[in-house]
Amino acid sequence: MGLRFIRSMMLVGVVVSLTPVTVAGQARAADPPAYSPPRTPDGKPDLQGIWQVLNTAAWDIQDHPARLGVPAGQGVVEGNDIPYQPWAAAKKKENFENRVKADPVEKCYLPGVPRIVYMPYPFQIFQTANATVILYEYVHAVRMIYTDRPHLPGHIDSWMGQSRGRWEGDTLVVDVADFNDQTWFDGAGNFHSDALHVVERYTRKGPDHIAYEATIEDPKVFTRSWKMNMTLYRRQEKNAQILDYECHALEEEAAGRLK
Amino acid sequence: MIGRYFNLTIATAAVLAAVSLPPVSAAGQTQTADGKNWNPPRTSDGQPDIQGFWANQGRRLSTYNVEEAAEPTHVLLSGVQTDSASLIVDPADGKIPYQPWARAKRTETFENHTNLTKWEYVDPHTRCFLSGVPRAFYQGTFQIVQPPHYIVILQEFNHGSRIIALDGRPHIGDNIKLWMGDSRGHWEGNTLVVDVTNNNDKTWFDLVGDFHSDALHISERYTFVNPDTIAYEATFDDPKVYTRPFKMALTFGRNVRSEEAKSYELFEEACLEGERNTTDMLRLLDSNPK
Repeated sequence: MGLRFIRSMMLVGVVVSLTPVTVAGQARAADPPAYSPPRTPDGKPDLQGIWQVLNTAAWDIQDHPARLGVPAGQGVVEGNDIPYQPWAAAKKKENFENRVKADPVEKCYLPGVPRIVYMPYPFQIFQTANATVILYEYVHAVRMIYTDRPHLPGHIDSWMGQSRGRWEGDTLVVDVADFNDQTWFDGAGNFHSDALHVVERYTRKGPDHIAYEATIEDPKVFTRSWKMNMTLYRRQEKNAQILDYECHALEEEAAGRLK
Repeated sequence: MIGRYFNLTIATAAVLAAVSLPPVSAAGQTQTADGKNWNPPRTSDGQPDIQGFWANQGRRLSTYNVEEAAEPTHVLLSGVQTDSASLIVDPADGKIPYQPWARAKRTETFENHTNLTKWEYVDPHTRCFLSGVPRAFYQGTFQIVQPPHYIVILQEFNHGSRIIALDGRPHIGDNIKLWMGDSRGHWEGNTLVVDVTNNNDKTWFDLVGDFHSDALHISERYTFVNPDTIAYEATFDDPKVYTRPFKMALTFGRNVRSEEAKSYELFEEACLEGERNTTDMLRLLDSNPK
């Protein structure tokens, strides 16, 4: 970040010395004014609508070349490295080798957070006075993100975790805890324990874009916390709506056990 | 667990007995049955505010078999007491007006629903499939959420959900079938009217095989009688399976009230993820057909 800033300053210096006219334009490009999103009736940024990622994180959150059935993709992990503890790095490698059968998503299980966000399926965000509700097309996952109460005491294992939201300026910050150790972050074997703690940040960047950031913390598996970043895109089709991807039913149908 | 259910049975029976004693309360109900006497609070987009937690609490509670609500074993196991009435209010005999082939199919399922020799006899709920409409309403608690221009219904069972668009948009194309159907609604006073199309042919109305095809069209009316009561009536039309449309009636009550509702929440009910024997059983049936 620092380096990028210095480079842009150098560029400004060169341009200024040549053609002073473009100074105003340069300032605009370097630091655009923050987008001011439309508001809900209670004054919160309006995140409602149908959204979807355009990336390959569901297959692999890190840089990866194409594999059969898997598009190549640049990673969504900040710095690309995941700070696994030594035993966990070995486990990740083993998961990767066994991924075709071992990925929990292959069993049609709920994919956990944040993986549900970057599954290649749309989801719809709704807002009320005390909650943000997200319904996902993929295996009809639901997240009820209350913004008016703390987490429940104790650890309650769950696939999607328990979500609690709060607003920091125009950003919806969602604290997600109470996970089990059964889900993976992607189809490449990146994993966590039941000590996983995720903090998500949803910030509107324009009429059709949300900047999404997830901070991952799990002292049983990683040496420090790390982050993913990506963009959520608004589905533009006038008739866009959430349909079904009932993985388990489709699997049973394929096996001849459902008409 | 059995003890708890048994106690509940007694308690429920006692409550029902108390309710049935003074005829005055019945009259009180009919007075407001059209919902006109209730002036509800409003959401920001002007809808009657009916958010909160609800469950099927009418006299037709037991939904083991929609044609005969109170199957004695189910009453014993569930702790749910009823007056044995069918959920079906039209036709008057309380039976689904099946075409002959469809009645034969339903009878076969009924006779085999505790003798599972084929996957066709296994309740879709047991297999962790979504409930469909209206079964979602009599499988435990559901929550109504009202973001602007929508009604969202969340089920605790198998985290099912329905998104009811209120903005007048057309239904999706005929070839897309959905487990929970495609819902479009509008308000008529305190009555929410919902048109449900695009249903698939894989859900049942109950445990014993009452069924429909993918031609099913449901017209629902939710009348908000008072802050704690919804009179629900749905008309089912399916020319592939029935000889005429039929009507089902249910009463939903708030099952979490006032202050408690502010901290209450639905929990994750990960049906498939916790499932440990049904899929294996079905595979076994596959390899050992009887």
